[in-house]
Formats: sequence, structure tokens, C-alpha cells
Amino acid sequence: MVGVLIRMKLAVLRRASTGSRANWAVTGRLLGVLAALGTCGMATLQTTSPSTVLDLLAVVLAIWTLGWMAGPAWVGEPVLRAEHFALVPVPRGKLAAGLLGAAFVGTTTAVTLVAFASTIVFAVRLGGVLPVVVAVLTTLVELTVVVLLSRLTGRMFGALSRSRVGAATTAVITAVMLVVSSSGWIVFTAIDSVRNTGFSTTFSTVLRALPSSWGLVAVDAAARHAWGLTVLPLAGLVVLAAVLFVAWSRVLGPPRLGRPAVLGTAGQPARAGRFLGSATGSVYIKELRTWTRSPLRVQNLLVPPVFAVLSCLVPLAFGSSVFLPFAGALTALMGAATSANLYGQDGTALWLVLLTPGAEENDVRGRQLAWMALFGPLSVVLALLGTVLSGHTELWPWAAAGTAGVLGAGAGLVPLVGVTQLAPGPDPHRSRYSPMDHGDATGGAFAVLVGALALTVPALVPVIVGTVLDNAEVKAAGVFVGVVTGMTYWSLCARAARRRLVAKGPELLALMRAGKELPGQSVEGTSALKTMSKGRQRLLWWSFGIGCIALFPQALVPMAMKLSGHVAKVWFLALYVPGPWQWPTIAFMVLVAAVAFTIAARTFLGQRRRLRAPAPPVENGTETRESVVRAG
Amino acid sequence: MDSTGQTPALAIAGLHKTFGDHLAVRHAELTVAKGSFYGLVGPNGAGKTTMLSMAVGLLRPDEGTSLVFGIDLWQRPDEAKQLIGVLPDGLAMPEQLTGRELLTYLGRVRGMDHDTVTARAEELLAVMELDGDSERTLIIDYSTGMRKKIGLACALLHGPKLLVLDEPFEAIDPVSAAKLKVILRGFVAGGGSVVLSSHVMALVEQLCDTVAIMGRGTILAEGPVDGVRMGRTLEEAFVELVGAEVSAAEGLSWLAS
Repeated sequence: MVGVLIRMKLAVLRRASTGSRANWAVTGRLLGVLAALGTCGMATLQTTSPSTVLDLLAVVLAIWTLGWMAGPAWVGEPVLRAEHFALVPVPRGKLAAGLLGAAFVGTTTAVTLVAFASTIVFAVRLGGVLPVVVAVLTTLVELTVVVLLSRLTGRMFGALSRSRVGAATTAVITAVMLVVSSSGWIVFTAIDSVRNTGFSTTFSTVLRALPSSWGLVAVDAAARHAWGLTVLPLAGLVVLAAVLFVAWSRVLGPPRLGRPAVLGTAGQPARAGRFLGSATGSVYIKELRTWTRSPLRVQNLLVPPVFAVLSCLVPLAFGSSVFLPFAGALTALMGAATSANLYGQDGTALWLVLLTPGAEENDVRGRQLAWMALFGPLSVVLALLGTVLSGHTELWPWAAAGTAGVLGAGAGLVPLVGVTQLAPGPDPHRSRYSPMDHGDATGGAFAVLVGALALTVPALVPVIVGTVLDNAEVKAAGVFVGVVTGMTYWSLCARAARRRLVAKGPELLALMRAGKELPGQSVEGTSALKTMSKGRQRLLWWSFGIGCIALFPQALVPMAMKLSGHVAKVWFLALYVPGPWQWPTIAFMVLVAAVAFTIAARTFLGQRRRLRAPAPPVENGTETRESVVRAG
Repeated sequence: MDSTGQTPALAIAGLHKTFGDHLAVRHAELTVAKGSFYGLVGPNGAGKTTMLSMAVGLLRPDEGTSLVFGIDLWQRPDEAKQLIGVLPDGLAMPEQLTGRELLTYLGRVRGMDHDTVTARAEELLAVMELDGDSERTLIIDYSTGMRKKIGLACALLHGPKLLVLDEPFEAIDPVSAAKLKVILRGFVAGGGSVVLSSHVMALVEQLCDTVAIMGRGTILAEGPVDGVRMGRTLEEAFVELVGAEVSAAEGLSWLAS
């Protein structure tokens, strides 16, 4: 059973990953590997007391576990589902074992295994054979536990998300888990003092009681020959895995397909005003109705503000309210990320747009307006409240410029990424009992995050310059630049998205109909990326990734921190080097980013030039159609 | 121009489509005269949906053209699409709207004025029996038959000259089907043209004046229903042309033996 299911999963995966979406997925995995290696590195950290390393590792492993639990909300349903085998007469236990085996096959599991192997590194450090044996055992059991936990939370989210109230609940839970797993770095802002003094006893005790820490506790006890404390957590982990397995095989039964129906309006529509009665206004109304009636959209709408507010509140625990003014910008950023796959979520409904003359433009603009109508006021209000309540009114140019820039970039990127990085999923009416079963939009969300951050930089430049010169007018100019650039992105991206819909509409529909790219139906057409050799592609993505890391976290963030005077070293290299070297380090990082982006741009543009060079004549049918599409 | 000197409602010339190694439609040719009720029949996988999708602009052909009242649909899409109403098979809709909300939305996107949209939506919903109890039901909660009916309403809303319907009678109850037949016959009597694909031979014989039989990605026979039947039933002609053999002795040896 396990072998059959693993082969089946590999077959599905092989056929599902194509195009530039796959490239974004590769970038995501790369970051995962880095995080996993970082986790192993933590096990070798020098501290005053070895038990501090245990606590630090326990924090990180708890974050990994939470990440697995929040995961299903992002990546949708697993590849193989119990429903696929509902009519096959296999006992639930056997099916559960088979599905569990298949669940272990995947890059995320491999990456997590590397991260969990930090327990083994920790054991090696403590010395002795027995701790290492215990560590190997616990690593494997813990991996099983997180996989099972992820499947169970996925089932729970799935059951909840059929109704709007359930979707709202799921949104809050997801946001909390995302905050915990993404704000874990705050622990590291205090890492210097923790290395010397350790955590408080209460924190340490609570932390070690978490199942994700049991492996470490057992290894530590084995090194001290404390056999009771070795066996107890080990047995606890095995029992936990067994209980989770039984619980999971129980819920694999036939699904209960009840869900509350949402009702629409009754009676003839009122005569609409000039805008709402127009074609764009009509799309706008349709979109607003979808946002408020679809459980999936309700979830996409609620995760961003909850995530943003909580993320900015967490630093209060460390006495810092400096993040609060940015709650608005963060809401807009996350709102763009959760909306990155609007076209994919609507599925093959695109046919109506394709068959209505000139509908592409109205569709893009209507979607943008609806997105802005929802996330615009929300972000602005949160930015205002955050700035006023935190008392950091001096940060208003940062907050205002950031919010304006991200909102404009978001409104632009949402439809553009929606049609360029479209992740096909089942049509909404086919997945009405499992709204979680959507296409894996992680690649698109990642593209929107990086893109929106990059596009906000110009708005922040005057604010940075104004802070250096201590000039209030220049700082305030950042807000103006933010609004102007935001409007520019909005309009330019809308045009690009419309052009793509017009040129590639039938191919996008075919992609959604088939759920994957069919041979000869490439959405990319003759894009440079598609035709590039594997080696060149790798060069392009690596240089792009390195450029992003060098520019944002390693140059711009420490620069902003130094200028504003709120310094937290975290993982910003420039802030760790001695004082006089900090600015040169930042300048060096900017240089690295510039070189990396140049390499990426040259690789891409070079390929495009080669493509545009006159090619030998092909079959005349294809030739004329291509030129028609370009003209249209 | 066809033999009668009129521009055909739909002229498909050499439409061709492959998906990698799979040949879906092989240089298909067919002509739908103005005012004709045209039936397209063929076994599963014959390429009917693929050909119709290419004909109306939902799937880009590798080769060939589709002329709607003489207008090349892939060269001048906006003009051609104004003239056709399409019911595709099994595609999604804006699912979170009610039937009336959807028709209002579509009418406005098509630039129709408020009164026309409201009146036509009212009439279409009444004919399709999607008002009353179903008034506030969202499309996502519609049954298969209701989805077909709202799809038809969408195809009819803007008063097209040519209707292209992929399996319009599938999953529709007999009462609604009878109503629908009356609507379509009235449409043709008023000068409109209809192309419909179906598996049900009896339906095509009953409704259509012209028929095309499709198999293995191409049109095997086309002409007036009587001409294609040649004294047989349409089903017999179909089975013969498609090249399938149906014998009573055939079956699954291990089933119910």
C-alpha cells in the first residue's frame, strides 16, 4: 500500500510542477534549507550553560512544529487524500498508514528532517553513544508527529472553513500561528543576553513541557544518565504519535457534507449610479459580493489584519512599540499576498470574460478597485491608530510612505501576478465542501511579497534622506512619492495584466481546465524564462535571490534602523561589525545587490534578445496568429 | 458564401489542434447556414468540445479559421463575439452570485442599459424557473440542471444571432427540456442559428435540420439529416460512420457470469 501510494504521489507531483511557479517554489525550498541548516547551527552555539542551548533549540523546534500546523492553510489540501480512496475496500488503519508513508515523501519533509536533526547535533555535542541513539530515535518520531499534526489541523481547518464563521475562526488561528512562527526571531534579538543568563525558569519549564522539546529533554537526560527522564519523554513521543495516528485514521471516514448556505439578494436590482452601473463598477460589485460570501475569500480578508496587528503587538512584550505604526503597511502587504491567486480561485469562470468583447480591462480594474476598497481603508486606519497609540508620531512619514507605497504596489500586483503566476485549483463549485482545496498559491504569494517590498523602496528613499539630513519636508515628500508611485504601479500593472489576459486568455483557461500546463498550450508562450537552459535559469534565480537578501534585510533594514536610532541586531550583519565599519558594510551589501541584480537582468534580457532575433520562417498558420496576438 | 449565396452563420475551415502527441481535432471543416438548426454528434473523445471551443474563441487553434457571419473570430474577436451566445460544458461561473445578480452583472459588462437588462433577466429567470424559491440561491449551490439553465440564460441575454451550445440538454429535466426546445425553435424561426452538440441521437433527429457526425477528431459526414441517415436511423448511420461494432455477444466475460 505504502509503495503504491508513494509512486502515485510522485507521479502526480512530476506532472504538476512547471513554469516559473516551480522556480518560486525552488526559491522557497532554498530558504527552507537555509533555515534548517541554521537550526542545526544553533545546536553548536557557545553559551555559558549548555541547558541554554537546549532552550534555544526548543524554541526553534516549537516554531517548526507550529509552521507545520499552519501550513495547510497556505498550501491547500495534500496531494493524496482519503476521499480519493473512499470506494476502495481498504481498512482505514491500512489506508492511514499508506497515506502517512506517502506524506513523508516531499521536500518539506526532507527539509524538516534536516532541521530536526539538530537534536542529533546537540547529542553529538554532549558526547557519548547513547544520547546520539536517543536523538536519532526522537528525530524520526518527532517528524512523524509533525506530519500527523499537520494532517489533523488540515482536516480541522477544512471542516471549519465550509462556513464563513468557521473561515473567520480559521483565519484568526492561522494568523496567530503565522505570527508565532514568524515572530520567533524576536527571541534572537535578545540572544546575546540569553547566551549569558539563559531564559527564566518559568519560560524554560513551560517550553520543555511542549512535545516538540521532549526529544531534546530525553537526549539531555541520556547524557546525564538520568534514565527516568530519558525514557519518559521518549515514551511520551511514541504514545503521542500513536494517538495522533489513531485520531487521524478515525477522521479519514466519509466526510459529512453539511454546510450553511449563504443567500444572495432578492428582487430586481436598483438603478445603479454612474460608476456602479458601468462595466467596471459591475465587476467591482461582483468582486465585493465574492469577498463577503465565499469562505475562502473571508479567510483571505481576515488573515492580513489579524496577522499585522498581532505581529506589531508582540514586540510590546520586549518593551518596544516601534513596530505599531507599520501595522497598516503590513496589512496591505499580507493582503496582497493572500490575494495573489484571485484568478486561480475563480477557476474556469474566466470563460465569461473571454467571450465578452473588451471585458478584460473592466475585469482587471474592477478587481483592483474591490481589493483597494477592502484593504485600503483597513490599512490606513491601522496605520493611523498604530502611529497615534504607540506614541511614535515621529515615525509617521515612514508609516505613511510605506502604507501608500505597499497599497499601490499591492493593487497593481494582485491582478498581474494573478494572471502570470496563476495556480490552477479545482473549480469553486467542485470544491464547495472543501474550500481549503485550492491551488498551491505559495509561489504567487511569495512573488507578490518580494515585488511589493521592492516597489515600496522609492517611497522610502526620501524618508531615509530626510532622516539623514534631519529635514522634515524631505521626509514628508516620501508620502507624496509613495502616493504617486503607488498610483503609477496600479495603472501600469493593470495595463500589463489586461495585455496578458488579451494575449493569453485562452491559454490561461486551458491551464485551469486541465489543472496543469498541457503540451503545446504553454501560458508563457515564447517567454525568455521558458526557453532558458537549466543552468542559466539557476544563475538567474540564484542571483535574484542573493540580490534580494543583500538589498532588503542586509542593507535597507539596518540602514533604516541606524537612521531611526532603533537598533536591534537580529540577523543584520552590518549591525554586528564594529561601529566605523557598519556603513561600509551596508554600502558593500548594496554593491553586492547591484551586482547580483545586474547578473540576473543580463541573463534574462540576453535570452530575450536571442529570442527576438529573426527566426527562420515557421509554419505560416502559427506565424500569423502570433503577430495578431501581439497587435491585439 | 455558401451554395445559396448567403454568408453562413458559422464556417469552420481547417481547425486543427494537438496537445503534445495527442491529436484532438484534425483539420475539421463545417458550415452552419444562416437560420439552420445544426446538430453535432460524436462519441466521447471525438473532439466536439475542443472544436467548438476553438470555434468560439475559448481555445487557440494550431491552424485553421472560424468565421462568424463572415468575420474571422481570431482576427476580429470583439466583432465576432458580439454575435454569438455560448454555453460551454462544465465550466465555472461567478459562483457567489444569484442567477439574477449574474445576469445583471453580465448585462452591464456588455454595456446593455439598465431597463433592458432588468426586463430580460426577469423573463429568462421565469422561463428557466430560476426565480421564486431559487431567487436567493447562489450559483455555487445550484444543481447540475440549474447550472445548465443559468448558462443558457447567459448565452441568450445579449440577443445573439448564433447560439453555440455544448450538450445543452444534459441533466435537464423533461419539463425544462420541453420549454427549452420551444425557445430554441422560436429562435431559429425568427432567423437565428443554433449549433448544438449532443450524445442523444433522438434529440438531434427531432430538433435539427442539419447534422454533422464527428469521430477521431474530424467531421465524417455533414448534411441535411435525411441525407446523412440515408434510410437508416441516425444512430445506425452514426455507429457505421464512427466505425464501431456493437454485437450482442460482446460484454465483460467476468461480469455477472
